[in-house]
Amino acid sequence: MAEKDVHHESRQVIAVNSVGLVRFARKYVGLLVLGPSLVLAGCGGHTARTAKMRSALDAADGPRAIKALNDELEVTSGADLPRNIKGDNALLILDRASIQQSLSEFGLSKRDFETADKAIDMLDLSRNAGDSIGEYVFSSSSGRYQAPPYEKLMINTLNMLNYLEQSDLNGARIEARRLSVMHTYYRNSLGHLDNPVVGLGSMLAGYTFEKSGNVDEALRYYDEALACPGFDSLKSFVAPLLSMGSYRSPRFGDVPARERPDSGKTGKTSAANPSGQGASASALPSSAGNAESNATGEVLVVVGHGRVPHKIANRIPIGLALTYFASALSPNDVAAANRLAAQGLVTWINFPSLAPATGSLGYPSITLDGAQVTSDQAVDVDNEVRREWKNVEGKVVVSAITRLVARTAAGKGIEAAAGRDNVLGIVLSLGAQATLTVLDTPDTRSWETLPARIDVARLKLPIGNHKIVVSARGWQRSQDVEVTKGSWRVVSLMALR
Amino acid sequence: MERTSVGFMKKSLFALMGAAALMGCGREVVRGANDPSIDARALSTGLDKDDVQRALAETLNHLRSAPVMNEWRLMHPSPNVAIFPFQNNTSEHIDSMLDALLGEAETWLVDTGAVQVISRDRQTEMIREIEGQRHAVFNPANAAKYGKQLGAKYFLTGKVSGNDERSDDMRRVQYMLFLQVIEVETSAIKWQKKTYITKAVK
Repeated sequence: MAEKDVHHESRQVIAVNSVGLVRFARKYVGLLVLGPSLVLAGCGGHTARTAKMRSALDAADGPRAIKALNDELEVTSGADLPRNIKGDNALLILDRASIQQSLSEFGLSKRDFETADKAIDMLDLSRNAGDSIGEYVFSSSSGRYQAPPYEKLMINTLNMLNYLEQSDLNGARIEARRLSVMHTYYRNSLGHLDNPVVGLGSMLAGYTFEKSGNVDEALRYYDEALACPGFDSLKSFVAPLLSMGSYRSPRFGDVPARERPDSGKTGKTSAANPSGQGASASALPSSAGNAESNATGEVLVVVGHGRVPHKIANRIPIGLALTYFASALSPNDVAAANRLAAQGLVTWINFPSLAPATGSLGYPSITLDGAQVTSDQAVDVDNEVRREWKNVEGKVVVSAITRLVARTAAGKGIEAAAGRDNVLGIVLSLGAQATLTVLDTPDTRSWETLPARIDVARLKLPIGNHKIVVSARGWQRSQDVEVTKGSWRVVSLMALR
Repeated sequence: MERTSVGFMKKSLFALMGAAALMGCGREVVRGANDPSIDARALSTGLDKDDVQRALAETLNHLRSAPVMNEWRLMHPSPNVAIFPFQNNTSEHIDSMLDALLGEAETWLVDTGAVQVISRDRQTEMIREIEGQRHAVFNPANAAKYGKQLGAKYFLTGKVSGNDERSDDMRRVQYMLFLQVIEVETSAIKWQKKTYITKAVK
């Protein structure tokens, strides 16, 4: 009897609990659905975290941009690193490194670049199947950040520039070697043979080794740079080095070993070619092995201008997405998506795309003692970002559609498990779908403060004091340079507007 | 009964939300002396204290019984020895650890009593004089010049090379670290010892 009672009582408990659960679910369904929504309200992905930074940069206010990033990183000063650099904070540190560089805070910029370099490499190496599953089912921003090749290559390139600005050849050589490691990896392991951003890095690496007295290493890097467009004027700097080194390349073939480039240190930019694009920079011989260089010094000017397009979040109805991308989906997914569209529900897919470019118009200006100097466009990073995005855009949208189908399937699964017409099942199914929809944040992560284009000019100057003024996009740097026999100096400006 | 069950679920839900909110908090600061595993763990492909200690243990034990050390012990007065920075030919910014390594070697040399070690502050001034203010960094090509101006008969220095490779799931750096004693007058290498260190992220 006691046993029976116990059974009876337990059944009663189950019955009471079922009723309670339904009541609980009804009462708290708002919490279940709205809870994640409230937590994530305003969570527009990475670009929302960087909106203030971009506004400040658009107003050419670098210090305010640094402050905006510091607030996001929860640190009080640009000299501080956040406690956690494992996640997407690494990208914010990378942004801060670029802005520090644009403010000529080269020491802080170096520290940030090096921190971000290691953290992003670590993220890249630690990606696993869990990230892929998360991105497939949950959200494209749920996986660890995987930097595209041009970002990884530009970290070392721009940090090399920091070291060269501080005349630290040892540090610049280390960055050159790090660049080579990544370049070799992309070329040999991933088959990326023609990344144009390598050109600038190789040119700076060649310059670093040339000034370090390692001619063959310099020639090897110059050879890599010459393989990229925009470095024709480099040949005139390679020519004097050939007699001092043994490294040879077919690309040096048409460079006479004793070629002497045009004389004249500056030239007015022609009206027909206001940017100097494609025109030889002040094509003057380098210091190495050149008797003339003993009576002169050299300045390398590097100007970055504009910003590469950042990513923005898009939401479009499934029907429209099918119109654009059905050919890229599997037949099963197309059928499932069509069923959703046919139900008449306005079901949205979330995916990222590139924002319009900033700073696509306008050219940098370089003056030496008041006279205009022409420059070469060494790299069009903006173009590379768009090219890379075009390669992956289809896959990104397809995975967004796949996630929508998976979300619906997960909801139907919960409903089916609870039983047909079960109120709790319907509520939980809706809750699960709503939660997953809210959590599906488009992956808008990228290095947003990468200069869109970078120009270079290499100048040979007579001994004495000179003034170099570099300006672009409303940003300006004026630098007095004392030139001594055989001296060299690197002057840069990153106008991130 | 119903009230109890629903109440329990409410509490559980709020407890779960609270736990989620607090997840990741509660870090503590620990001391290496109390927890040796802190020093033992490798955090990056750079050099750390453990690497420096291993490298020094191998190289300085070798120097202790090297012929140049016996020469020094017999010299009266004791020869002046300068300590010059390492040449870092790697892809890692490890100069501060290489300086630390030389600092340890300097301490070891002073403790032997066999040589007079020239202050590194004086060497920095000398480098600035020879290389100029703007490029006041040690230039290995001018090491003999620095040594002569400092009145050093020998200098202790080193160089470190690295082989850095990257694959899809691993980054590995193999260091080859050389410590050397060079005679200023002749630039002859009087002693040299190499040691290997490998670090990887995988």
